[in-house]
Amino acid sequence: MKEVQVHQDQQYIDGLLQNNSSVIQSIYKKFAPKVIYFIRNNSGDYDDAQDVIQEVLVTVYNQAKTNGLQLTCPFDAYFFLLCKRRWLNELKKTSNKQVTITDDNVSTDENVQEMTFQTEIFDEKQSLFDEMFRKLGEKCQEVLKLSFVTKTMEEVAEKLNVTYGYVRKKKSLCTGQLTEMIQQSNRFKSVKQ
Amino acid sequence: MNEEKYIGFESYINNEMPQEEKIIFEEQLQNDSQFKESFELYKETTQFLSTKFSSETLSFKENLKEISKNHFAEKATSKPRVISFKPWQYSIAASVVLFVGVLFFMQNGTPQYSDYNNHETAVFVERSNAEESLKNAQDFFNAKEYGKAVASFKNIKDISSEEIQYFYAISLIETNDYLQGELFLNMIKSGNSIYKDKATWNLALSKLKQKQYTECKVYLKQIPADAEDYDKAQELLNDLE
Repeated sequence: MKEVQVHQDQQYIDGLLQNNSSVIQSIYKKFAPKVIYFIRNNSGDYDDAQDVIQEVLVTVYNQAKTNGLQLTCPFDAYFFLLCKRRWLNELKKTSNKQVTITDDNVSTDENVQEMTFQTEIFDEKQSLFDEMFRKLGEKCQEVLKLSFVTKTMEEVAEKLNVTYGYVRKKKSLCTGQLTEMIQQSNRFKSVKQ
Repeated sequence: MNEEKYIGFESYINNEMPQEEKIIFEEQLQNDSQFKESFELYKETTQFLSTKFSSETLSFKENLKEISKNHFAEKATSKPRVISFKPWQYSIAASVVLFVGVLFFMQNGTPQYSDYNNHETAVFVERSNAEESLKNAQDFFNAKEYGKAVASFKNIKDISSEEIQYFYAISLIETNDYLQGELFLNMIKSGNSIYKDKATWNLALSKLKQKQYTECKVYLKQIPADAEDYDKAQELLNDLE
């Protein structure tokens, strides 16, 4: 079996995961200018660049926290491709903007494309989970939210003024209901791996 | 909905299933692909919810927002719709001049609060349509009219941002309201924002202003080597010892 080679830039992923301010600041310092340049040259402004960069970093963080993320390519190329593709999608959505794509010599390294692809799939999935969560009943949303922000299920039961057994059962059933809604959605088929 | 199935998933994930049940459960996982698929999705959903609601995720997002705002605040200076402010370089130059001046006038060797109170420029307002109190607080602060700044800070509707709390706290300390100012700083210090170390530095300065040198040193020693104010902190620490 082929051993996965983790790139030394994994430190940026770890820094995001640890909420390390100096790492996050260095990501902005080192990698943001290129993204800003690209977006400003393609019908966007500073505010657009700010949004795109922030959204991409949140997605990378979420992926690392939820599934673990092992970087097998330089962070620079991976991050730039994610930002670029997110911005191009944004432009497509608001097609009234004039699109003039300037070609750039971004590495089309296989690893970079694969990493980017994985992150985009994750992002799709996450937005599907979010959408379905919002469609759950109010009670389910409350129980699930509380059971993840509160340390123990005993405390959750106390807060909701119900028994421990009830809260445990409710949590299982609500999670189950959420999985069924996800499974039945059309979008699920496209993100299923 | 298959209630039993989900209750089983939950207790398996939490490792609360009796041994015999566990064996049967794992057998079914191996032999029943539909069951396995359903279980995998349940597990994934749980992980997703756990990330979504984790307090770590919330503080990461807060911190990221703050860093992003600061990074782009520097960029935005070239845009006309932005209220201009002095770049931080000027304040360093000014502080060097002031520092030399203060050294000249210093009567004895004990360091004073006024040697160090060269605060950075506050930049809350990027657009002219922002809340008026916020803009006033920013302008009075930058003009070093701290009494008026405090009055404006009091009128701001939402002071939940650590950035605003930080500059509010400095204004309070400048106007000798140490109790309230230090309360804010301590809150920021125990948080995770980029103002964390700066809050510690200003707590030390507050103690210096009150001539509580022992407490001042305690705070100075807590400032990590990678903090922006580390050099100044070491210098002050040397002077106090």
